[in-house]
Amino acid sequence: MKQLVAKYGTALSGLALFVVFLLFARNFASPANLLTVLKQASFLAIFACGFTFALLTSELDLSFASIASLAAVMVGWLLHSDTSWLIAVAAGLAVGTIGGLLNGLLVTAIKVPSLIATLGTASIATGTAFMVTGGVAFVGRWDASFLALARGKVLGIPFLIIIMFAIVAISWFVTRLTPLGVHMQATGEAEGAAHRAGIATKRMKLLGLTLSGAAAGAAAVLLVANLSSAAPQMAGDFLLNAIAAVLLGMTMFDPGRPNIAGSFVGALILAILANGLVLFGAPYYLQDIMLGVIVIGSVGVSASVLKKAAFSV
Amino acid sequence: MKKTLIGLAAAAALLAHSAAANAFEIGVVAFQMSSETHARVANAVEAAAKEKGWDVTVLNSNGTLPTHAEQIENLVQRGVDGIILAMSKPVEFDAQMAAVKEAGIPLITVMSGASPHALMDVQVNEYAVGASAALYLLGQIGYQGPILTQRFESNVGTRVRGKMLDVVLSENTGVEVVGTHSMARTKSWREDVRSGMSALILQNAGNFKGIWASFDGQAFIIDDLLKEQGMNKGDVVLVSIDGGAETYRRIKDPDSMLMATVAIPFEKMGAAAVDAMQKIAIDGADKASITSGPYLFMDAELVDAANVDKYLD
Repeated sequence: MKQLVAKYGTALSGLALFVVFLLFARNFASPANLLTVLKQASFLAIFACGFTFALLTSELDLSFASIASLAAVMVGWLLHSDTSWLIAVAAGLAVGTIGGLLNGLLVTAIKVPSLIATLGTASIATGTAFMVTGGVAFVGRWDASFLALARGKVLGIPFLIIIMFAIVAISWFVTRLTPLGVHMQATGEAEGAAHRAGIATKRMKLLGLTLSGAAAGAAAVLLVANLSSAAPQMAGDFLLNAIAAVLLGMTMFDPGRPNIAGSFVGALILAILANGLVLFGAPYYLQDIMLGVIVIGSVGVSASVLKKAAFSV
Repeated sequence: MKKTLIGLAAAAALLAHSAAANAFEIGVVAFQMSSETHARVANAVEAAAKEKGWDVTVLNSNGTLPTHAEQIENLVQRGVDGIILAMSKPVEFDAQMAAVKEAGIPLITVMSGASPHALMDVQVNEYAVGASAALYLLGQIGYQGPILTQRFESNVGTRVRGKMLDVVLSENTGVEVVGTHSMARTKSWREDVRSGMSALILQNAGNFKGIWASFDGQAFIIDDLLKEQGMNKGDVVLVSIDGGAETYRRIKDPDSMLMATVAIPFEKMGAAAVDAMQKIAIDGADKASITSGPYLFMDAELVDAANVDKYLD
């Protein structure tokens, strides 16, 4: 029983929260609203998947939100310059991936702790985004095909939700059912032992951070398509929220370990909370307070893993 | 007897609940409550709506584009009877505003710009406001000499103010801009203004007669910087735009360099948005009976030492 609570306690709490909103928050149960919740969870879930990959190898990526903002700005700039939207999307994904790769190289080749390396790249990304934009957002009524990436629907289901499920499913498959996932987890949990066992631990860390950047690039492209604008720091708020989702995820399914299923449910719980509180008519500051409580509560459970990630060299 | 009392209390509670459920309900979203002007509009809307007995849900987007979009979507799902947005961005949130219109929810914006999906935007004429502040500054320095400017291009209103300054300067070539800092970081804008303007003030020490700031929050920081440099009232003419208790206190203060502002009636604008909502959504009035175009313009008055007492009362 104790083990069951440890494994599924948070998920069940999330379910309880869902039921409370279902019963007491007006229109929460409507299909349109439930799709809205999933749509709103999608950005967070994609960022959280990326952060999970980095944390799985015991590395902390504090740059993904800034890298996403830079990727978004690059997409906006290219679209604004009448470049094909396909090229703009490719550029956004490339900026995210290269940003993550740079983090990986700093950590594995130059041996800068990831906490410091990613803070540095975050600052570089923010500065570059401001350099490109001059602080002014790229705004436009861009190609409908591009906007459809986030606003389009397939059989009534927003395309954004389908993309989110695809990314979450692939990430879950890679981490749980492939040797690569096992190697990444072994690297994060016992790097020395994993290295002695023949696992290319440096490569795993490089991959973890690169995937974090790639996820940030993907989320950035979708953000731009959803808002038809691109501004420096537009993804800034996702830093704390995505970390909160991953920490929350570490309290369930595989307690104490970063895991994709947990991160996804964590993102879902945060999206339910944000949506439900509005439908409940709660004051706006309650959301921030609740988020803080969730972060503190989940860090309490997963502190040792975070500490290891923050200070490992 | 006890049972009767309980029954009566329950009936009263039920009646109160049903009355509350029948009350007109509006959702208010302020783009960034940490900015005083956004909060003033949102608070004014909330106060005016509550005075009418309406239910109000106030939300703060924390200056983040994705959060603003989500909050508008959540209010649509809640099924509010009307939505008022403070300092929103009609182009960026075109899809969300279109969804509001599609849901049949009347939408009024304040200081946001025109949207085809909104009934109106409550505004001041920023062109007149910008020209008024610029002409006052030039008048105070005798239409001659160097000045510094602190701009903010990311907001439509402050950008227009800056453009009107440029127009005024183009006709008055005796005044030269010797240094300009453009505020780019919206979240850490105070630090941005402080570092940028302190560098400009030091660089141009003794070589400027006036400073133009695009909004009062910037002017407060510049005023404090000038005081730190040992300057006294009359050494430099500092002019800005917005108005508010702190601005009027500084205009009256013999140690402050802030000489004038153009007072934007934020509280009146919030109340006007609520009145317009009442007339259209409840009384069934035609929008054209309130304003013929996309804007409902309000008057803004220039405030300096001559008339500041009226505002301090």
